[in-house]
Amino acid sequence: MKSAPFEYHAAATLAEALSLKHDLGGDARVLAGGQSLIPLMHFRLATPAALVDINPVAELDYVRRANGHVVIGARTRQATMLQSEMAASAAPLLVEAVGWVGHAQIRHRGTVAGSVAHADPSAEIPTAVLALGGEMVCRSVAGERVVPAAEFFEGPFTTAVADDEILTEVRVAVWPEGTGAAWMELSRIYHGFPVVGVGALVHLSDGVVDRASVALCGMAATPVLAPAVADVLAGNEPNARVIAEAAEAAVSDLEPPGDIHGSTTYRKKVGRVYVRRALAAAVENAGGFR
Amino acid sequence: MTQPAVREHTKTTNWVGKSIRRIEDPKFLKGKGGYIADHVLPSMLHAALVKSPYAHARITHIDVSEAQALPGVVAVITGGEAASLCDPLPDFGPDPSKHTWRLLAVDKVRYVGEGVVAVVAESRYVAEDAASLVVVDYEALPPIVDPEEALKPGSPLVHDALGSNVAYERTFTFGDVDAAFAEADHVFEDRLHWRRSGSQPIEPVGAIASYDTGTGMMTIWENSLSFTSYLFMLAGTLKIPSNKLDVHPVPAGGSFGSKLWAVKPAAIAGMLSKATGRPVQYMEDRHDALANNDHQGSDRIYRVKLGVKRDGTMTGLKLHAIEDYGAYIQFGLGHHGNALAQVTGPYRIAAVEYGLQAVLTNKNQQGAYRGFGSEVNNWMLERMVDLAARELGMDRREIRRKNFIQPDQFPYFIPTGNVYDSGDYELVLDKTLDLGRWEHWQAEKLRLRQEGRHIGLGLVSCQERSVFSATEFWFWFDKPGAPVTSMPESVTLDVDALGNITATLYSCAFWGNSPETMTAQLVAEEFDVDPASVSVVYAGTSQGLPATGPGGSRFTVMIAGAIEGASKKIKDKAFKIAAHQLEVSVEDLEWKDNGIEVKGSPGARKTLGEVAIMAHLFKHSLPDEIESGLEASQVHDHPYTTLPSNDRKDLGVFYPFMGHACHVAVVEVDPETGKVDFLDYAAVHDCGTMVNPRSLEGHIIGGTAQGIGTALHEEFVYDENGDFQSGTFLNYLIPTSMDVPEIKCGHHETPSPWTPYGIKGGGEGGRMMAPGAIFSAIDDALEPFGVRMRVLPATPERIVEAIEEAAGA
Amino acid sequence: MTAVRQITVSVNGQTFERAVDPRLALVDFLRDQLGLTGTHIGCEQGVCGACTVLVDGTSVLSCLMLAVQADGSEVSTVEGLASGLELHPLQEAFWEKQGLQCGFCTPGMLMRAKEILDHDPDPTSETVREAIAGNLCRCTGYQFIVESILDAAERIRVGSNA
Repeated sequence: MKSAPFEYHAAATLAEALSLKHDLGGDARVLAGGQSLIPLMHFRLATPAALVDINPVAELDYVRRANGHVVIGARTRQATMLQSEMAASAAPLLVEAVGWVGHAQIRHRGTVAGSVAHADPSAEIPTAVLALGGEMVCRSVAGERVVPAAEFFEGPFTTAVADDEILTEVRVAVWPEGTGAAWMELSRIYHGFPVVGVGALVHLSDGVVDRASVALCGMAATPVLAPAVADVLAGNEPNARVIAEAAEAAVSDLEPPGDIHGSTTYRKKVGRVYVRRALAAAVENAGGFR
Repeated sequence: MTQPAVREHTKTTNWVGKSIRRIEDPKFLKGKGGYIADHVLPSMLHAALVKSPYAHARITHIDVSEAQALPGVVAVITGGEAASLCDPLPDFGPDPSKHTWRLLAVDKVRYVGEGVVAVVAESRYVAEDAASLVVVDYEALPPIVDPEEALKPGSPLVHDALGSNVAYERTFTFGDVDAAFAEADHVFEDRLHWRRSGSQPIEPVGAIASYDTGTGMMTIWENSLSFTSYLFMLAGTLKIPSNKLDVHPVPAGGSFGSKLWAVKPAAIAGMLSKATGRPVQYMEDRHDALANNDHQGSDRIYRVKLGVKRDGTMTGLKLHAIEDYGAYIQFGLGHHGNALAQVTGPYRIAAVEYGLQAVLTNKNQQGAYRGFGSEVNNWMLERMVDLAARELGMDRREIRRKNFIQPDQFPYFIPTGNVYDSGDYELVLDKTLDLGRWEHWQAEKLRLRQEGRHIGLGLVSCQERSVFSATEFWFWFDKPGAPVTSMPESVTLDVDALGNITATLYSCAFWGNSPETMTAQLVAEEFDVDPASVSVVYAGTSQGLPATGPGGSRFTVMIAGAIEGASKKIKDKAFKIAAHQLEVSVEDLEWKDNGIEVKGSPGARKTLGEVAIMAHLFKHSLPDEIESGLEASQVHDHPYTTLPSNDRKDLGVFYPFMGHACHVAVVEVDPETGKVDFLDYAAVHDCGTMVNPRSLEGHIIGGTAQGIGTALHEEFVYDENGDFQSGTFLNYLIPTSMDVPEIKCGHHETPSPWTPYGIKGGGEGGRMMAPGAIFSAIDDALEPFGVRMRVLPATPERIVEAIEEAAGA
Repeated sequence: MTAVRQITVSVNGQTFERAVDPRLALVDFLRDQLGLTGTHIGCEQGVCGACTVLVDGTSVLSCLMLAVQADGSEVSTVEGLASGLELHPLQEAFWEKQGLQCGFCTPGMLMRAKEILDHDPDPTSETVREAIAGNLCRCTGYQFIVESILDAAERIRVGSNA
């Protein structure tokens, strides 16, 4: 299992990376952590003509808070994310989800943005970004576009990033004080790919839900939002009955594609269970259920 | 052969029974393991295979021109060309001419992953580049995936020459089955399905072949060819004289059966070396290992009836097994030979009907995996015992106690004719219940049930047969086509001039077991030396004595017999030399503390070293009949095999050294998701006398971890089109450290009366018990739902389905 | 063909300059170009952990990193663990506790264990068990590996206090 030949370009700066991507277009893939791309290349399921390696681009290695968002540069490793106290308090859902990705060695190389750009419909990070309400910064030599998370994931392993663009930054919204977050997933083996994963956010004011968001992975061709959850919860005290109703609403319209780890029926069933559990945990983290 | 003499195991031992550090380990710890992929020969080429994307298809055309033109490519060989370069692969199956197995497919492919074209190039990278340039045109044929469908008339045929998909079919009866069932008050029936998994060691199989065009000598290094006595078959495949093949064993990075006789990679490398005149390495990568390794495990559907009296006494067992062998059947029915060695488990069941249909389908074929088919029988039998207990309202412990063979009943012949040498099953059960805190968890289960949690306790009492004899591969047939014989193991011990000892082994003995440590401890025991001082080396087969290697938990018992014999020869000679030196007669001497001394005169002695230097350098000072040197070899044949009766109502003795174990598993099941978590796990094994308890315990724990994988996670899935769904480690799920609980291990030692020191084999145990214990625990946890798990692995989805089914019933 | 690239890599303290094909995986570079065959290939898809090495002190899967990406880095492999003939405390502990059977996962396991102990000299069996979850072992069921790493931690602590 060896990669097919490719041209290799190490970009020293973002400008250089953008110019390479401009010249090479869709024949070139961006190499960030490589923890998803390189296995595909070993299986020759991906055979890019060229790689633009952004690992040397130090200017893309950051995680910081700006304009009500936590912003994460494209070269920021998952392990770096896990060490950020700022991110842990400002975007706990994302940090929790990152902690579920693979194992230590994977997280040492793998990047947050790389997982978003890879857009595996089973992956944790895109789902957490979607739940939080994120936006993706796509840049080309011509300039930058900001794509809302809800419009970013177009299909399995397919995103809104254009052939001459690089996903340079992932932004997730910082939810206000009083928000509870929870990431939960069911995987068949410890830290294997989730059969179903759920990111849940609940904001309470005076014991009543005024804002909520849930996104799921493993339940569709892309990570999906479950807007029905907020509809059910909003204005209610989050008791077990309401949460169960919200969980039912979250999955009722989904037809998850089945595979050997879980059929459509099973995914729907455990999807509902996991939304319920994640919401309950989020409510508890928000200070509800006292 | 008659029953061997009973040995008294009275002598206290110095080294047997000690958990010394392993002799093998330093090289591995330093990263100098010398595995097959680590070896490089000058001008060595690398091979890769083009594999079939179809489960069943006719090959209509192959275009290799682009591949051949790629710089760095040395040869591209199609299946058709391979068939003229090589004869079919060695095959112990029922009728090899009707399901012929070749190293590359010819005319049609029979499973996804089957090799079609081999490419040889200067590097593996280039070989894979070229493989991707080979164009194979296929005409798809209807796939045969479900073994029960494959049995139906008119089903598409995997092998046209066979005329059906049934490679073998026969029903045996052992004992008076009708009488046994007439005695029963109840007959409990079930359908149980064990789906295929496989050992998947972290190191795949690989081989390097170097064909010397000058001498015609083919030298092969491989991590997976034991059975040195059968290598003439590989020579036949390669069309070289059997005395021009020399196979050198290389340490195997895990096997668990899958490297028992992995002959195809060696044949591929050999063929390609012969074709190119250069050394060739063929190393399976993970995809090759998953899709094309010929060592998938059992895949078996049982229909079972267990006859039981009102009081829980089991009277008879009737079973019919459909075994899905995949596209070929290289080891014949050996998987069921293993099962028949202990078909009635530790219980007194007087009669057995055993029906078998061996079915061929469009899947990679079966090989060996830790238990070799007997682990499936263990699971089935314990499932049935649990069913009987539940239906009778009996405690699962009591029904087992009631039926156990008692300590004073050994040697005990089971209905198939095999014998169990010794055991104390109730004692092992009691120890396990203690270690697993049965009473504690029973109380916890009831308490937590009030909180809505589902805890379950599981229990199995199972056999672990050890030291196979080859009759199990041929008693299936009235006229065996390929009778195989005693499966010997050999050793040469050489005491050098300074008294240092070298032991030479003659099979590919290292798979992660401890053949060198076992050998060193046994030699140390014989000669009172430090095992760390014993040098253990491996011979190539051209200098070799007959040997079989590990497999069927045989190596330690067999090498112990060989070492015993070789040691005696050396000591006999040493006694003669010492007698000459000390001017006494041999009868006046005794062996003591690494030397020979005059009985009753501790000062009058010669150390082994003093004798050795005489033997090596001063032949002319010794009596004429004594030759120089102090070495001896021993070929140790299977100590206790008897032939099957002509009517096959008695299969004879073929697996006589019978280990035993009891496992207790405590799990919590989440009924909403089907997820299973372990709360406790205890395993007590009786493998006779232990040579190195720590190593044995390592095998038990590791085997149990594999059993957990088998029971819950691992499955080779072929979908309804025969498409292989498990071609990556993301889809074939091997337990991580977090999926395996801490295993509490206990031991009991009932020595075998027939082996040196009373040793029995113990290499396979954990995996032979764990699946049954886990299923028992899941059923117990879900008892309020009335669930009974019948399909293995018990994936979360299958558990949820079982709950729903039970609710619907 | 793609252009080869010149790289300079320090491995176990020794500097190597080599020309490599960009597609060459770091593990193949170590094994085939430097002859350091202690780092093993198990799955080439980032699941088994057999190829774990430390790059600039951090564990990575050398099958999922290109050799060209290691340019300018310091790589540590199992061959660098022992000091001459003296085994590293981890190697001693694995030997003593039989933390290996076939030895194939061992080099990756040792390198991951080294990183674990570099960060936490006094771990619990729970933290060790979790921390090695990215390294598959098919032989041992992990229990003796956990015991070995705990034993090594103690050896190192005792050694550094002495």
